[in-house]
Amino acid sequence: MPSRRRTLLKVIILGDSGVGKTSLMNQYVNKKFSNQYKATIGADFLTKEVQFEDRLFTLQIWDTAGQERFQSLGVAFYRGADCCVLVYDVNSMKSFENLNNWREEFLIQVFLLYLPLIVYPDLTYRLLLKMIKLVVWYLHLTLFFLVEQLLCNLRMNFLQASPSDPENFPFVVLGNKVDVDGGNSRVVSEKKARAWCASKGNIPYFETSAKEGTNVEEAFQCIAKNALKSGEEEEIYLPDTIDVAASSQQRTGGCEC
Amino acid sequence: MHEIDVHDLSDDADYAASVQQGSASMYRSNSSKQGSSGEQEGAEIVYVKDNVAIHPTQYASERISGRLKLIKQGGSLFMTWIPYKGQSSSARLSEKDKSLYTIRAIPISDVRSIRRHTPTLGWQYVIVVLSSGLAFPPLYFYNGGVREFIATIKQHAYLVRTPTMNSFQVFKVAELQVYQLRIRSRSADDANVFLVNDFQDPLQRTLSSLELPRAVSVTNSPSSAAAPSESPSSWTDGETFDRNSALAQQNARQRQKHNDPARDLSIQVLEKFSLVTRFARETTSQLFGEAQGDGFITNDRRKHDGKTHDYPRIAESNDAQKLPEDVPVPADPLEFDKLSLVWGKPRQPPLGTEEWSAFLDSEGRVTDSEAVRKRMFYGGVEPDLRKEVWRFLLGYHSYDSTYAEREYLMSVKKSEYETIKNQWKSISKEQAKRFTKFRERRGLIEKDVVRTDRSISFYEEDDSPNIKCLRDILLTYSFYNFDLGYCQGMSDLLSPILFVMGDESETFWCFVALMERLGPNFNRDQNGMHSQLFALSKLVELLDIPLHNYFEQKDCLNYFFCFRWVLIQFKRQAVFIYLYLVSCREFEFEQTMRLWEVLWTHYGSEHLHLYVCVAILKRHRSKIIGEGMDFDTLLKFINELSGHIDLEAILRDAEALCICAGENGESCIPPGTPPSLPVDDTSMYYQQDDDDVL
Repeated sequence: MPSRRRTLLKVIILGDSGVGKTSLMNQYVNKKFSNQYKATIGADFLTKEVQFEDRLFTLQIWDTAGQERFQSLGVAFYRGADCCVLVYDVNSMKSFENLNNWREEFLIQVFLLYLPLIVYPDLTYRLLLKMIKLVVWYLHLTLFFLVEQLLCNLRMNFLQASPSDPENFPFVVLGNKVDVDGGNSRVVSEKKARAWCASKGNIPYFETSAKEGTNVEEAFQCIAKNALKSGEEEEIYLPDTIDVAASSQQRTGGCEC
Repeated sequence: MHEIDVHDLSDDADYAASVQQGSASMYRSNSSKQGSSGEQEGAEIVYVKDNVAIHPTQYASERISGRLKLIKQGGSLFMTWIPYKGQSSSARLSEKDKSLYTIRAIPISDVRSIRRHTPTLGWQYVIVVLSSGLAFPPLYFYNGGVREFIATIKQHAYLVRTPTMNSFQVFKVAELQVYQLRIRSRSADDANVFLVNDFQDPLQRTLSSLELPRAVSVTNSPSSAAAPSESPSSWTDGETFDRNSALAQQNARQRQKHNDPARDLSIQVLEKFSLVTRFARETTSQLFGEAQGDGFITNDRRKHDGKTHDYPRIAESNDAQKLPEDVPVPADPLEFDKLSLVWGKPRQPPLGTEEWSAFLDSEGRVTDSEAVRKRMFYGGVEPDLRKEVWRFLLGYHSYDSTYAEREYLMSVKKSEYETIKNQWKSISKEQAKRFTKFRERRGLIEKDVVRTDRSISFYEEDDSPNIKCLRDILLTYSFYNFDLGYCQGMSDLLSPILFVMGDESETFWCFVALMERLGPNFNRDQNGMHSQLFALSKLVELLDIPLHNYFEQKDCLNYFFCFRWVLIQFKRQAVFIYLYLVSCREFEFEQTMRLWEVLWTHYGSEHLHLYVCVAILKRHRSKIIGEGMDFDTLLKFINELSGHIDLEAILRDAEALCICAGENGESCIPPGTPPSLPVDDTSMYYQQDDDDVL
């Protein structure tokens, strides 16, 4: 089991409702596109074997619900992520603007415990509010679940949430639906998107079309590579002793093979 | 509390009789044996003790106090324990609880053993174990007198005192109960065990106790106590099943009438027996093995004839279900497969038009809504009739409305709908430009309606008017309930309703009625979902402790893998598909509607959907545990669950589980958990900060 675990790379796809998260995942894994996807409720994932330098990895791609209201579920699914894919629709400015929220939300949920410990450069007032909201939500949880459960969650986040620095957590941004209307209905320019990605620590950026399959393979190659890198970096930051302590809790995301 | 008084009238009458008759409280004598000695005269109280209490929960403050008596009559000694009326230490203990725990005239000859505990701290108590292996909850002697109690019995029956060590196995029941009551000072207990009964024909007893029919026949006696109007003498083993279910229904109807979510008394007792039966079998055989080995002397020569014993209600609410926890863990504590055979009623064909019209009086009122709901619970509704019946099921029409009233309501509601719809219809382009919230809401809805049930021919075409209709209704709803707005999943709930109703305004109001109950599923803080998933975890803990432990071990107790099931009421779930059907999608749709209408009857439980979850999980428990599924695998497994399970079978399982869990099941579910109507309206949708606009 542990050896299988170690080769698993977990990727989370986030983004507004209807930007094409499910479609991208299906295009990459099944090489198929359908007009009849349903709004994702809860979460689901697909897996795909990928090869890197003679090593085989299982890429586990998590598709999540796009509506912000389902965010409180996130923490259950984000746990142990190696890479986060942010998707927006190039034909929707709002979905692009929301990328920042998705990114922050993800980092908060994953690094909830780290935040007080590290200096987070763009810690804004709004972010603080959100943090408080989250803490309140956690407290609210304790009413329902046992305190141990909560502590366990937090500990898992602490141990598993991958690298120690949120600024270096690997994100990949995908601008989807470039095929729509031959690009005429496009409202977010590539330049604008690239600028944003650069401002967030040079996030790799791809323009894709899940419908046509454009750039999907390339994007996911990059995603897998980043996820792998994240795992390797983590190995440096997480001492072995913690690894042992966490061995009962699935995995640490590390990859030493 | 008033309702409960009405409800428990029979028991109150019993109680009143007991008060009047005092010593001669032999009001239940339906077995042949006791019937012969049932004369009221000649009864003599040989022992009375006040303030003898049982602790139905782990809190000593929640106790039921009563009077313990030993009554000598016709050469036999009987034990009774009657709770005091009207005096309750806690609001949570109802009269119903009290009558449930009441011990009525149990002949001492039926008692296997009495275990005396005299802990250094706390009150002395005894545990009475019957020959069948069943045990009463511990009786706490608040005013002392245990010694006297034992001495009195000694005068009238042969008692063997055994050292505790020898009887560890034998008195596992007692040990468990002690454990359950969380009395940790077990080692400090000075437990003395007194064996009462004979082992004249151990083989026969063992055999008879192993037979299921006997076990079931035992269960009918307590129910006859719950409904004294029934003639107990006419009961035979053969008709036990029908009787029980008829009784259960009758009582369930009563319960519903009072809108009392708590389980009915007789069902409660029935369930307890079902759970205890298996345990009793094991314990009994253990008992005999042990007893023979020790060479116990016996005195009572009464031969066991395998007939129904007139046991009083064996009642312990928390203990029975938890027994499997400490028993060498059986694969499935409820013997699930057999359970549904015993408890789940056979499903019926769907309710048809003719049958439906028989339920209506000349003016169109539904005369017996309880019966209709029951009928639909067991069979659903024929597709053609749904249009009419769903309005009642969803609560849009009330059952006691007439044709004319409904006609009137429809026209009023139609114009009301138009008014609300116009609120957003009249928003001009220019206005919308400056109305981000509206634009976003509309965008979200438009994105979702075009991907809702498109595989159904009703919504198939790209420019289908039905899709537009979905959009209009959802947008109107988001104005009708602006705080809740639109949330993904709503379109999934709406589409079958539109499919059935056809008419836009009618669909809207039916949807509104549905959202009264399911709205909290979509709350911003997700509290409705969390409370349901929490209740689900509690139910699994109650009904399948090994599975619960497994989930705990795998850190899956948040039950997020059941999120989709609960949020959209099993829609999109391929569980109910028959593989051999050509048109799977349409069939899935049809099955969803069938399931929904059964859930909406709220017959038996408002939260049947949670029991359906448990039933499905239990169906796959061996696969889940066997393959060692972790959270990810489990989620995947459940999302893709498909196959050969018949909806009717699952419903039957769910019903069986629901009956089995009974009051304990209901107490797992926090008040106000959807689809219960919300406890407090104002707190439902708390508005929060700026960025949650949708």
